[in-house]
Amino acid sequence: MQTIELTKVRKSYDQFVAVNDLSFSIEQGGVFGLLGPNGAGKTSTIRMMIGITAPDSGQINLFGKPFERKSLNKVGYLPEERGLYKKMKIIDQLVFLGELHGMTAGAAKQKAVEWCKRLEIDAWLQKKVEELSKGMQQKIQFIAALLHDPDFIIMDEPFFGLDPVNATLLKDVMLDLKKQGKTILFSTHRMDQVEKLCDSICLINKGNAVLQGDLKTIKAGYGKSNVQIEYEGNGDFLDKNPLVSAYNNYGNYVEVRLAPGADAQQLLHMVAEKSRINKFELMEPSLEEIFINTVGKANA
Amino acid sequence: MHNIFIIAKREYLERVRTRSFLTMTLFIPLLMFGVTAVPTMLANRKSNETKHMVVVTVDRGTGEMIRSRIEQRQEAEKSADKTEIKLGGKKELPPANFSVEVSTNTSEAERAALKEKVKTKQLDAFLWATPDAIKAGKLDFVSNDVSSFIENGVLNETVNEALHRSALKSRGLKDDEIESSLQSVEIAPQSPQGKGAPDPRTMFYATLGMVMVMYVTVLLYGVNVMRSILEEKTSRIMEVMLSTASAKDMMAGKILGVGAVGLTQVGIWALTAGIFSSGALVATAGIIKGVLSIKLLLYFGVFFLLGYVLYSTLCAAVGSMVNSEQEAQQMQILVMMPLILSVIFIVNIFQHPSSPIAIFGSLFPFTAPLVMFARIALQSAPWQQIWISIAIMVATIYGMVVLCGRIYRVGILMYGKKPNLPEIVKWIKYA
Repeated sequence: MQTIELTKVRKSYDQFVAVNDLSFSIEQGGVFGLLGPNGAGKTSTIRMMIGITAPDSGQINLFGKPFERKSLNKVGYLPEERGLYKKMKIIDQLVFLGELHGMTAGAAKQKAVEWCKRLEIDAWLQKKVEELSKGMQQKIQFIAALLHDPDFIIMDEPFFGLDPVNATLLKDVMLDLKKQGKTILFSTHRMDQVEKLCDSICLINKGNAVLQGDLKTIKAGYGKSNVQIEYEGNGDFLDKNPLVSAYNNYGNYVEVRLAPGADAQQLLHMVAEKSRINKFELMEPSLEEIFINTVGKANA
Repeated sequence: MHNIFIIAKREYLERVRTRSFLTMTLFIPLLMFGVTAVPTMLANRKSNETKHMVVVTVDRGTGEMIRSRIEQRQEAEKSADKTEIKLGGKKELPPANFSVEVSTNTSEAERAALKEKVKTKQLDAFLWATPDAIKAGKLDFVSNDVSSFIENGVLNETVNEALHRSALKSRGLKDDEIESSLQSVEIAPQSPQGKGAPDPRTMFYATLGMVMVMYVTVLLYGVNVMRSILEEKTSRIMEVMLSTASAKDMMAGKILGVGAVGLTQVGIWALTAGIFSSGALVATAGIIKGVLSIKLLLYFGVFFLLGYVLYSTLCAAVGSMVNSEQEAQQMQILVMMPLILSVIFIVNIFQHPSSPIAIFGSLFPFTAPLVMFARIALQSAPWQQIWISIAIMVATIYGMVVLCGRIYRVGILMYGKKPNLPEIVKWIKYA
C-alpha cells in the first residue's frame, strides 16, 4: 500500500508557484527523502500533505484514501520551525500534544514517560521547557512527533542544530521505526545526513521535481565516476589535469570527479609519481554531488 | 470538537494556575473596596472627635442662633442610622462634632488673638459673623482644616439657615411662623415603574460599576487572546499543533479557554461582592441591594459574552498577523477603539439614555455590549431594540469569525513584516 501519494499537486501564492504539478508516492515502510535547496517548495509540499494548506489542484491520498483530517492521528510531524510552550511542564506539554492526536491523557502520560526514559531525559519531566537546553528541547520535540505511535512520520530538517551524539541517537530511533514498518519522510537540504537512510528520493527545485526514484538506481545511473584519494605530499596533480573534470580538495584528502572517458588507472599512476597514496577508491557520486549537479544544471 | 475542548482545557488550566491570575483576582476587588469603602470609613471615623469653634457676632442672639442650629443638626445626625450610608448625598455624611462658643467681641485685636489660637491649635476654628461680613455675603471661617469640605459644606448650609431664622426673628416672626416658612422639601426621584424601583443615583453607580467590570474584562481577556496567539506564533509551536488540529479549532479553543478564565474571574468577584454585601460591611451593600435583579445579571452575562467573543475574535486575527509585542500594541489600540470610545461616552449616555447617539451606540455591534447594557440597566431600552441589538451582534460575530478565521489561518504561518491591508484582503481570499 502507498502511505502517501501525490498526483499533480500544485500550490501557488499570487504569481509565485511554490509547488508545480508535483507527483510522488511512498510505499509503506519506505524511507523517503524530499530533497531540495532552501525555498524549493519542500515545506509547502509537506503542509499540503497534512492539510495545513489545501492544494490549488491535484490529488493527495493518505493511507490509500483521499486526505481527511482524522487520518492525521496516524501521522507524526516534526516541523522545521521547532517550538514548545515555554512556561509549560514537559509532561503536561507532551500529554496535551498526545491528546490532540487522539490519545487518552493516561496513555499519553505513560508513553511520554517511556520515551523520555529512552532518550534519557526523564529527570526533566516536571521541569518547564524554558529550563531546558536546546538539545533537550529538540528531544522533547521528537517525542511529541512520535508519542502517538504514528504510521507515517514526517521530519522536516530533523538533524538541524543537533550535536553528533543526539544526531546518532535520533538516527538509531529512526532505523528502529523503519524496522517496525513505519513510513518515514525526511525533508532536508543536507543530503549527507540522510543519504544512508533513504530508500528513495525526490529532488525538487523551484517547485518542480527534477530527479526522483530509487536511490540505488539513481546512483548506479551515474556509474563509478568518482575517486576518493588520501595522499601525502604534493597536490599539484589536480591542476590542469585532463582526467579531472572537478574536485573537492580537503588538504590530504580529495574527491575527484573523472572527466568523461577518463581512466582511473591513469590517474593513479600520475598521483603515485608525485605523492604517497594511502587510499585510492572508485565510488558512486554522493547524493550531494548529484544534487548540486542537477540543481546547478536546472538553474543554469 | 474534541480538539477545541483539549485546547480550551489547556488554555484554562495554564492560565488559572498562573500567579498573575491570582493577583488580578485579589487585586481588583481590593481596589474597588479601597475606592468605595475606605474614604467613607475614614469620614465616619472623623465624626467621633470634637472640635472647638468660636462664633463671633455683634449681638448674642445671632450667635446663639448659629450655635443652637449647629447643635440641633448634630443631634439629628447622631440619631440617624449611621451604618446606612448612601453614596453621593452630602447630607448623610456627618460633620465633626463641634462644641460652639459665642463671642461678641468684634475688635480687630480679638480677631488677631483668635487667629493666633487657631494657629497654635488651642482652638480648632472660628467664624467671623459681623454685620459687615453678613452684608458682604461672605463669612470668614478660619481653621487649620480648611480642606475638610464636608464640614464646610454642612456648616455653610447650617449657618445660612441660622442667619435666615435670626433675620426673620428680628422682624418679629414667632418661632412656629419661622419654622413653617423655612420648611424645606426633599426631591424624591422615582421611575415610572413605581415606588419599588431603585433610587436613580444608586442605579447610576451600580450600572457604572458593572459597565466598568465588563469593559475591563473584555479588554483584558481580548488582549490575553491576542498575546497568547502571538506567543504560540513566536514560539513556533503553532506548526506542531497545526499538524493535528485545524486552525479553526485552535482559534475556537483559544477563545473559549481564555473566555472561561474571564468568567471564572468575574464569578469570583461577584461571589466576593455578594459575601461582603450580605455582611453589610461595605458601602456597596446599599448599591447591590435592590438593583441587581436576576434579569439584569442575565443581560450582563449575555452582553459580556457577546462583547468578549466579538473582541477576542478580532484580537485573534490581530495576534496572528503581527510578529512582535510592539506591533501588537499598536494594533491593539486600533481594535479596542470602539470599546474605549463607549466608555468615554458612557456618562453622556447615562444622562441621555434615549438620545440618538445612545440608540446608535447600542445598536452598533462594536459599542453595543457596553452601551446597550447601560441602557437596559437604566431601563430606557425597549425590548425591540434589545433584540435587534443582540441579533446584529450575533450576525457580526458570525461574519467576524469567518473573516478573522481566514486571516488567522494564513497569518499564523506568516513570519516577517507586518502585512498591509491589501495583503490581508488577499489572505481572506485564499482558499
